[in-house]
Amino acid sequence: MGAQQTAMRPADPAAQTAANKRAVKVVTDETGRRMAIPLNVQRVVSLAPNLTETIYALGLDSKLAGDTTYCDIPPAAKDKPHVGSTQDPSLEAIVALHPDLVLATTSINRAQTADALLKIGVPVYTSDPHTIAGMLSSTATMADLLGASEPGAKLVAELQRRLDTLHAALQDRPMAHVLFVVWEDPLISIGQNTFVADALRWAGAESVILATQNWPQVSMEEVVRLQPEYIVLTSDHLAAETHEPVDHLRDRPTWGDLSAVKAGHVVMASDEFTRPSPGLVDAIESLAQKLHPEAFAPKAENSKMKMENGAHFYAATAAAGSWRGCGTCAR
Amino acid sequence: MRPLTPRRILAIAGMLAAILFVVVVISLRVGAYPISMRDIVVTLYNGAVGNGDASEFSQVIFGLRLPRIALGILVGASLATSGAGFQALLRNPLADPYVLGVSSGAALGAMLSLIIAPHTVGAIQMAAFIGAAATIAAVYFLGRRGGQLDSATLLLAGIVAASFLSAIIIFLLTLVNGPGLRSMTFWLMGDLTAPPPTQNVVGWFGFLYFVFAVAAGAMYTTSSDLNLILTGEQEAGHLGVNVTRVKLVVYVAASLLTGLAVSVSGTIGYVGLLVPHVMRMLFGTDYRLLIPTSAIGGAIVIVLADTLGRTIVAPTELPVGAMTALAGAPVFIYLMRRRIR
Repeated sequence: MGAQQTAMRPADPAAQTAANKRAVKVVTDETGRRMAIPLNVQRVVSLAPNLTETIYALGLDSKLAGDTTYCDIPPAAKDKPHVGSTQDPSLEAIVALHPDLVLATTSINRAQTADALLKIGVPVYTSDPHTIAGMLSSTATMADLLGASEPGAKLVAELQRRLDTLHAALQDRPMAHVLFVVWEDPLISIGQNTFVADALRWAGAESVILATQNWPQVSMEEVVRLQPEYIVLTSDHLAAETHEPVDHLRDRPTWGDLSAVKAGHVVMASDEFTRPSPGLVDAIESLAQKLHPEAFAPKAENSKMKMENGAHFYAATAAAGSWRGCGTCAR
Repeated sequence: MRPLTPRRILAIAGMLAAILFVVVVISLRVGAYPISMRDIVVTLYNGAVGNGDASEFSQVIFGLRLPRIALGILVGASLATSGAGFQALLRNPLADPYVLGVSSGAALGAMLSLIIAPHTVGAIQMAAFIGAAATIAAVYFLGRRGGQLDSATLLLAGIVAASFLSAIIIFLLTLVNGPGLRSMTFWLMGDLTAPPPTQNVVGWFGFLYFVFAVAAGAMYTTSSDLNLILTGEQEAGHLGVNVTRVKLVVYVAASLLTGLAVSVSGTIGYVGLLVPHVMRMLFGTDYRLLIPTSAIGGAIVIVLADTLGRTIVAPTELPVGAMTALAGAPVFIYLMRRRIR
């Protein structure tokens, strides 16, 4: 599934000397499309928020020629020239930015966009991560393509180290059974093959929904039957509200009767939990602390969480305010 | 009213073709990538004399704008011609190219191809066309009565087929998980952005326009008979019209045009319903004039709608199907009220 199919090899030497000004390498992207990408990429257009975020995390924002209207993390991404939405970007606006490379992802972009750009000779590398490991290897590949292998390897190693630390801390904890709410009405949750499900596992949680679709619509009856221990909301739902996440559900019919809601086991994951980008590791750490506070209790003050990024505001406020002691996590 | 001479048909068609030309020029000129009129002419000239280069002008003109315009003309002309045909065949002013389920069959075919072979180039167009053809055949056999096509039976059979196929589509959309299924929502709204499925773009469009010419030409040969049939099937029969044959030709030709349009662009709404009505209001109900004017009018509307769709909320693009309804409905109401007054 998330296995990397990336194969890179330099173009044959004859072709390189013929066009020594514009040396390229032939690359197969994660969807199996083959293309020639310049060795020296100077201008990149990102077609998805998580890719934009990755470019900033790699410190390569000077190479980012344009992004989409949805790219809001970090805030500086909003000032880059936009090529339209993630689903319906203007191909002309992309060409007008003279990119050496366009980055896309299967989770939000349309295949037609990549096909159409490749057809007119604009290389589009499409990533397709289904797991956190896949996200890390996509990040490393993108760093390679952008001529930043070293910062890429460093970033990936650091993220991996943090994940390993987290794994060690949660090793003895039983998995929390959670309902991950992507959308409330209609209720949309996540399937087991999504990177969100994998991120939940890293955070010491398991989605109670055993669907094979990526974004299954779930009936409320099913939720009542499954009685998840925790309900995980994403901050999209409550961005404008300041009160505790549990208040959001307590007065709603059926939701209010769930044992998780009665016990106050409603937690908030940051927006980044649904974006396969380096910031996802922050979101995993933050959710793990909310679901398994005991595992972090003794060394809470030297937590390695990075809070400088504005995106963690919701996570931070939720963590500070809403936590109640949890004696029933282990079932 | 003046008699309808071939000369008058040519004059009106020529006038509409001139409008279409202006719209095409505008559509070639505007867009997120700024190109001056002079550069457009130079690029077009170089491309036409086989002197094309790999410049960005050439990428934008030959890679993006021209294929979209060519597809828009084909789809608009097919849908409007098909709509005019169905309105006569079913003797129902509400008939449009999709009323008999052809588009739903095409959509189901497209969707199955997205599930089974999401990365196969050209599979979606092929599967959509097969779905359309299968629906055309099924509705034909369901819609016969006493050995010939009966308008009311055909309409009922088509509507039932359409809703049944739509239900299967919704069922699959909720159940199945294919990497390309997001494309399906765009497909159902109508989309001109998909690139041609082959490197030989000229050959591809040549093939599509050939199919259009055959189907629209076949329908045009029935236009005098259609005029008579519209006054009453029995009367037309008494006047020597082979009603069964005419209805069969119109049914197959109109369905084929719909199948052609939806397999390359998805289901673009309104054009097939509104354009024939607008042309009737402007130029009268004679099918000898209505078929060519609808074809050109449909092309104008789609190219115009697509041009607006990719400029008014630039750099994001509005699906062409949304634009046709947004701009089409007010125009239609204006023309309708003006005629009533």
